Amino acid sequence: MNPSTPTENEVTRRGFFQLTMGWIAGSFAAAATAVATVRFLVPNVVFEPAQRFKAGAPGDYPDGSVTFLEDERVFLVRRGNTFRCLSAVCTHLGCTVNRSEKGYHCPCHGSTFNADGNVESGPAPRALTWFLVTLSKDNRLLVDKGESVASDKYLIL
Amino acid sequence: MKTPSPLGLWAWFAGTRVGRSIFRVGPPRSNLERSQAMVSSFLLHVQPAKVSRHSLRASYSLGLGLISLYLFFILTGTGVLLMFYYVPSTTQAYDRMKDLQFVVSAGLVVRNMHRWAAHLMVAFVMLHMCRVFYTGAYKQPREFNWLLGVGLFLTTLGLSFTGYLLPWDQLAFWAITVGSNIAGYAPVVGPGIKYLLLGGNTVGQEALTRFYALHVIVLPAVAGLMVAVHLFRVRKDGGLSRPDEPAEDAQSIPLGQLPTNKSYGLMELARGTTPQVGRDPDDEVFAWPHLIFRELLLFLLVVAFVLFLAVFWNAPLEELANPIHPPNPAKAPWYFLGLQELVSYSAFWGGVVVPALLVTALALLPYLDRRREGVGRWFARERRVANTVFSICLVIAIALTIVGTMFRGPNWGWVVPWRTPPAMTQEH
Amino acid sequence: MHRQSLQKFYGWFTALGLLVGVLVGVGYYRDEYRPWKDYQRRFIREEIRRAATPEQRLLAQSTALQVRQILLPELNRVDRCTTCHLAVEDPSYGGYPQPLAYHPLHDEHPFDKFGCTICHRGQGRATTVEDAHGKVPHWDDPMLPLKFIQASCGQCHEASDNPAAPQLARGEQLFETVGCRGCHKLGGVGGIVGPELDKVGARRSPDWLKQHFLEPAAVTPGSGMPPQKFSETDADAIVLFMLSQTGAELPVFYASMKVIPSAAQGRRLFQQKGCIGCHSLGGQGGKVGPALDDVASRRKPEWIVQHFRDPQTVSPGTVMPRFGFTEAEARALTDFLLHQRDQKVALDLPSLMTPIDRGRDVFRKYGCAGCHGPEGKGGVPNPNAKTAQQVPALTYVADGYTKAELRKLVTNGQREIAALDPQRPVPPLYMPPWGSTIKDAEMDDLVAYLFSLKPKGEDLGF
Repeated sequence: MNPSTPTENEVTRRGFFQLTMGWIAGSFAAAATAVATVRFLVPNVVFEPAQRFKAGAPGDYPDGSVTFLEDERVFLVRRGNTFRCLSAVCTHLGCTVNRSEKGYHCPCHGSTFNADGNVESGPAPRALTWFLVTLSKDNRLLVDKGESVASDKYLIL
Repeated sequence: MKTPSPLGLWAWFAGTRVGRSIFRVGPPRSNLERSQAMVSSFLLHVQPAKVSRHSLRASYSLGLGLISLYLFFILTGTGVLLMFYYVPSTTQAYDRMKDLQFVVSAGLVVRNMHRWAAHLMVAFVMLHMCRVFYTGAYKQPREFNWLLGVGLFLTTLGLSFTGYLLPWDQLAFWAITVGSNIAGYAPVVGPGIKYLLLGGNTVGQEALTRFYALHVIVLPAVAGLMVAVHLFRVRKDGGLSRPDEPAEDAQSIPLGQLPTNKSYGLMELARGTTPQVGRDPDDEVFAWPHLIFRELLLFLLVVAFVLFLAVFWNAPLEELANPIHPPNPAKAPWYFLGLQELVSYSAFWGGVVVPALLVTALALLPYLDRRREGVGRWFARERRVANTVFSICLVIAIALTIVGTMFRGPNWGWVVPWRTPPAMTQEH
Repeated sequence: MHRQSLQKFYGWFTALGLLVGVLVGVGYYRDEYRPWKDYQRRFIREEIRRAATPEQRLLAQSTALQVRQILLPELNRVDRCTTCHLAVEDPSYGGYPQPLAYHPLHDEHPFDKFGCTICHRGQGRATTVEDAHGKVPHWDDPMLPLKFIQASCGQCHEASDNPAAPQLARGEQLFETVGCRGCHKLGGVGGIVGPELDKVGARRSPDWLKQHFLEPAAVTPGSGMPPQKFSETDADAIVLFMLSQTGAELPVFYASMKVIPSAAQGRRLFQQKGCIGCHSLGGQGGKVGPALDDVASRRKPEWIVQHFRDPQTVSPGTVMPRFGFTEAEARALTDFLLHQRDQKVALDLPSLMTPIDRGRDVFRKYGCAGCHGPEGKGGVPNPNAKTAQQVPALTYVADGYTKAELRKLVTNGQREIAALDPQRPVPPLYMPPWGSTIKDAEMDDLVAYLFSLKPKGEDLGF
């Protein structure tokens, strides 16, 4: 054996440096791959109805009407010149509530809500959510389901 | 180790109670621990504790089997990721390809990696087969492992072929239409196989569903199982073939009379040759780290190469599949183009006789060629005849494939590859 | 002895580790950099600049960079055009340079229901300029040049009835008068000499179509189609009409727009449904129901519409049946009755026309003029045909055939056209069999018309 070559337990300084560099680079690559994999899995677009949507022209809704919009699961409420939008998703476990004589009624576990969306009876923990209604630049009702407001906030035309 | 390094961290962790329960041993320091590192790890124990220096020589194995295995790993990983976005529906599959490209983070790179690794795997499995042939490594006691290898080769082709359809573009649709029609030429069973494979008479939603199921679960499961047995048999059959291997009959120990004074922990004893038998101990080194480190390097090399291809070259995606407008010419995947070229001369010979003969010959090879000479050396003089026959077949196959890939244009007529044929530039 | 042999690989290890790291980094960077982000940053800067109040400013600043898309599940489309064209709905961006320009005229076609690509074509799912605009390999449907945009109206609306698309209407008129149907089928009616045109608008580019009209053999070698002599505007109009024939089957919501209620559509319905059987106009027609000449002065429009929906609701006891008109049809018929006086083209009532007049319509309807020329005067080239390398004129058919012979010839067609020079390719144009298309009464009228073509006072005498 050549005496100048390192023995079994000895690593040359260069060898040690190379090994460490390799591990650092490899670890970086592995970590970056892991991050990229998570980024890959996080959806950049979703294929469901938009949170902000146009609900047509104000004139489409007669005075005093409560209109259920199926795709968006909301009620559009018009009284006089005021417009509001109420979530049809029960605050208990997410069922779709129905219109009842006095307000709204959840068929799953029997919660009832008054016309303002407040809980009358049943297991629902909170009132139904009211969403922000504004007027878009092309004069359509614009509902933002990402933006909840108090029940007495109206869009007044 | 004083400086914090991955090895140091590992040593510290392996020393803790939890670490010991997981690893049993830390970074090995003695020969005993090196052996233990291999045999006590589930992932490593399929390999022996000590390996012959001959097996480590890159010039002998060229690492082709390992490269195929790593490509299989990459394909599994990227394939699972793609499954998160893919929908096997004729109305959505193509759109999902577009979404991968345009809105999914790294979606295109993942798809590119999957596509290029798939092509590479077919190529490297073939190269691995050639290596095993030219070194005579299929001979006793490795006959069955060769047979498994042939099975894996066919499974790889099946995986690639079923995956080819999934993007549901023109390339996919017509390659599978042509490919499944080649299968339909087989006598008696051909039309039945085609009908079963496509779930109907033409490529449509049923075919897509079937190819998807085959591609993501059936064939990978089959391939994974066969790979496990293949690797297991490499070890049980005495590691890689070597020129100095003693013949099996000199060593055979009747079953039930295994010596009892040997420890299984270090040198597993099996019927037939073992890594320990009949060799100068100096010719062997510990698998940890000599084999493991080389494997790590090769893995990095494969990953780097696939990434390089995937970052700079995009996988093809043509127009949405359109059964009314076939491209001219419609071509099968490249590894079937040799067959397609043959089919263009004679459907019977290209579609039936040649593939059947090839597969049969490959499967029977180790049982027909039983001479023991020339094992473990490339192009051994003693195997001149076998090598010549194999080389001729290989050259013909490569030539046919090249002709089918590059020299065939519209109506399967001759074209010069570096000149665009007039019909291809015309709007269809 | 163990490590020394490995030390030579350490350099490799470093190099490969770094290489993989760099490749992952490069791949990640290339993927993260997307040109649409630059457009969105530009838009946000512009919004910040225009902000009048601190709230607006804050709102603009907090706008996230993200792919925006319009989901059109019924059309099986996703349009991501608004990822870069961010101000299409904001009139205050009128006149801005692209990609930030405002898109006018969408009251009738709101973006959230129609998206962009249904009219403009291109690749809605793409998020790069080249791919989205669709002029890339392997995308069949590039953006429609704006001068042909009216072609898209024709996907949902009747070509002839759309006042907003005059070029489209002109294109259809040309199609029906120059005789394209003599050789080509559209909507199941036409000859079999040339290919069907039902999906031609999805297959061919505007340039190809134009070239094909002016010089067919230049784009389809060996084509027998006679070159057409269109003016520039007419060529564009008929190209546009062809582009509108995409064969796309649209879902109910869109297809219900097929008919823009209009007097012309109403007139066609009035003829098709045989209203003249019971009612009269201009003294012609049945006497079962009242004459309709002055119905506009007698009835309000609402009454007429309701009468078409359900006659019993407005005239109890009437014998007029309920025809089950759609709402659009009821409105179109009403429109016609209200405006019958100012129709530019007077109502043609088949039963009141002479057989020769009706035959001329048949001649036009099936595109005979495409090969035999207007009024059967000939002049259309048919290379290598024995008849002076032209499709024969029909002016003197009365001399060469009996009515029965002529009838038989039109019914069975003539596949073999005698060649001038047997060495050259056979003449491309031939007479298709029309027997399955042109039925008894129409055939009688056609033959009568053809016999009438002979100039008066000429008799060569046989």
